[in-house]
Amino acid sequence: MSEVFLDHVEKYATENKATITHPRKGQTMVEVNQNKLKGFISRLINEESLRQLSTITGLDLGQNIGIIYHFSHGRDTLHVKTLIPKTQPTAVSIVDIIPGAILYEMEIHDMLGVTFSGNPWMDKKLLLPDTWPADLPPPLLKTSKPAEIRRRLGLEVEKK
Amino acid sequence: MSDPTQPVRKEESAGLMKYSAENLVPFGPIHPALKEPEYFKLVLEGERIVEVIPRIGYVHRGLEKAAEMRPWVQNMYMFERTCGICSFVHSLTYGQAVEGLTIYETPRRAKFIRTIIAEMERIHSHLLWVGLMGHWAGFETLFMWVWRDREIVLDLVEAISGNRVHKSMNAFCGVRRDMPEGMEDRIVERMKFLVERANYYKEIVDTEETMLERTEGIGKISADLAEKLCAVGPMARYVGLRNDIRLTDPYAAYDEVPFDIVTRKEGDVHALLKLRLDELIVAANIVSYAVQHLPEGPIRVKIPPVIPAGENSSHSEAPRGEIFYYVKSSGGRTPDRVKSRQPTMANLPTALELLKGQTIADVPVVLTAIDPCFGCMDRMSFLDLDSHNQWSWSGEQLRQYGISHYFPERMKR
Repeated sequence: MSEVFLDHVEKYATENKATITHPRKGQTMVEVNQNKLKGFISRLINEESLRQLSTITGLDLGQNIGIIYHFSHGRDTLHVKTLIPKTQPTAVSIVDIIPGAILYEMEIHDMLGVTFSGNPWMDKKLLLPDTWPADLPPPLLKTSKPAEIRRRLGLEVEKK
Repeated sequence: MSDPTQPVRKEESAGLMKYSAENLVPFGPIHPALKEPEYFKLVLEGERIVEVIPRIGYVHRGLEKAAEMRPWVQNMYMFERTCGICSFVHSLTYGQAVEGLTIYETPRRAKFIRTIIAEMERIHSHLLWVGLMGHWAGFETLFMWVWRDREIVLDLVEAISGNRVHKSMNAFCGVRRDMPEGMEDRIVERMKFLVERANYYKEIVDTEETMLERTEGIGKISADLAEKLCAVGPMARYVGLRNDIRLTDPYAAYDEVPFDIVTRKEGDVHALLKLRLDELIVAANIVSYAVQHLPEGPIRVKIPPVIPAGENSSHSEAPRGEIFYYVKSSGGRTPDRVKSRQPTMANLPTALELLKGQTIADVPVVLTAIDPCFGCMDRMSFLDLDSHNQWSWSGEQLRQYGISHYFPERMKR
C-alpha cells in the first residue's frame, strides 16, 4: 500500500517537475513550484485518497519564505514544500480543496505575513493581538526580535 | 426619534452592523480560572446559530519563537508546558521528532514506560472531560463521581513520576525516571477498578434522562465533512473514521501492545460520551498489559547537545487527537524552527461546523464535546439588534439557561 502510494507521488512529482527526497524512513519531501502546487495536491486528494492535512508550517529561509504542507497517510508523512519570495509574500490558498486548512493559513498570515489569495478570512487576525502595529514586521521572521516586539506592544517590564 | 417602546424595524437597524437582521453574540474570550480562552462570534437567527467566527490567541506566548533561542533539551520541558492536561505527549512528540535527526535509538524499556504514562494521561484527560460534560449538562453527581475516580490515576502518575501534571518524564532517547519497584500489582488492581467504573458510567449515560436529553442528536456532523475539515482524534472516530495514530503509525511501544481502537457511527455528543468511556477502558487495558510485560534494560541513552542538521516531523495520539511537531536543525545547539500543532486547533473548524444549527442552550455542551480547553463562559454578552437590548450572562447563568431550556419543570422546584 505504502509503496504504491509513494510510487504515485513520485510519478506526479516528476510530471510537475518537482524534486522528491526521502530524508528518512516514513518521511517524503516534495518541493513543488508555487503555481503547480494546487494541481499537485488536488491530484493526490482525488486519486490517492490523501485526506489528513496535519498542518502547514511557515519557515523563514532568508531570501524566501518556505511553506510546508504536512500530510499523514498511514505510516508515511508527506511534506509538500513550496517557496515564495519574501519581497512579494503571496501564496495560493488551498481552502477550496481542503476546507480544514483555513486556520493554518490564517496562522501563517499572522506569523510570517504571507497572504493566501482565496482564503475568505485573510482580513481577520487569528493569533496576534488587535493592538499589533501595522508597521511592525511579523513575529516569526528571523529579523524580528522579541525585545523590540515587547517594547512596541508596551509589554516591557521596568527594571528597578 | 423612534419610539423606544416599539421594536426597531429591520431596515432601520441595517447598516449599524454587518449582521443587521440577526443577533450577534460575542462568546468569550477570557476567564483566568479556565485553561484556554477562545472567542467566538456567534451570528444568530432567532435561537439558531447560523455562522461562527473564531478568534484565538489570547494566551499565545510565542513558544515557537522562544524555542529558536533555547537549547534543544530545554525546549523539551518548555513544550511540555503547552498544556496542563496532556503535557507528557507534547514532550514525547517533540522528543521523537528530534530523536529522528540523531543516530541514537530509544531503549525498549523506555518506550514501554512512555506508553504507560501516555495512556494514564489519556485516562485522566477523558475522565476530566466526562465530568465536565456532566457539569454542563446539569448532572452534577456525575461530575463529582468522575473527578473522584480521576484522583486514582493522578495518584499513580505521581507515584511514578513525582508530579501530577507536569511529569517531566521524557528525555531525548529515553525517560528520566525508572518505574518504582513493586508498583505492578497496585497499578493492575487500580486499572481493574477504573474499568469497572467506566462500565458503570456507560450504563448511566445510556439510562439517565438528563444525559440522554442533552446529548442525543446534538452536535451532528457527517463523516465526509469531518474528513474534509481534517478532524482528529475522538472527533474523527465518533463518525466512524478509523483515525488513530497509535494504530496507523505506531510510536513508543504501541506496535508491541495488543489493542484495538474504538469507533462509533452515530456522530452525536452521546456517541462521544460512550466513545471516550470505551477508550478509557482500552487505555486501562494497555497500561495493565504494559506494566506486566515491562522489559528489562536501560531506560536512557545519553546524546550530545548538538543535533545534526536536517528536518523531521513526528506525530502522536494525544487524548484530544493528533499532535504534530516539525523540527528543523542547522546543526547547532538551538533549533532553526519548531512547529507544534495541537489537536484543538485541528478540531476547531469541525467545532464551528457543529455549532451551526444549534441553539444557544446547546453551546456549552457542543463546545465541551470537542474537549477544547474551554475558557470563556463567564464573559458572554448578548446584543439583540432588533430591540437594541443588551445583556450579559455569566457562565453559571448560561448553564442554568441550558438546563431550563430542556427541563423547565426542574427550575420551578
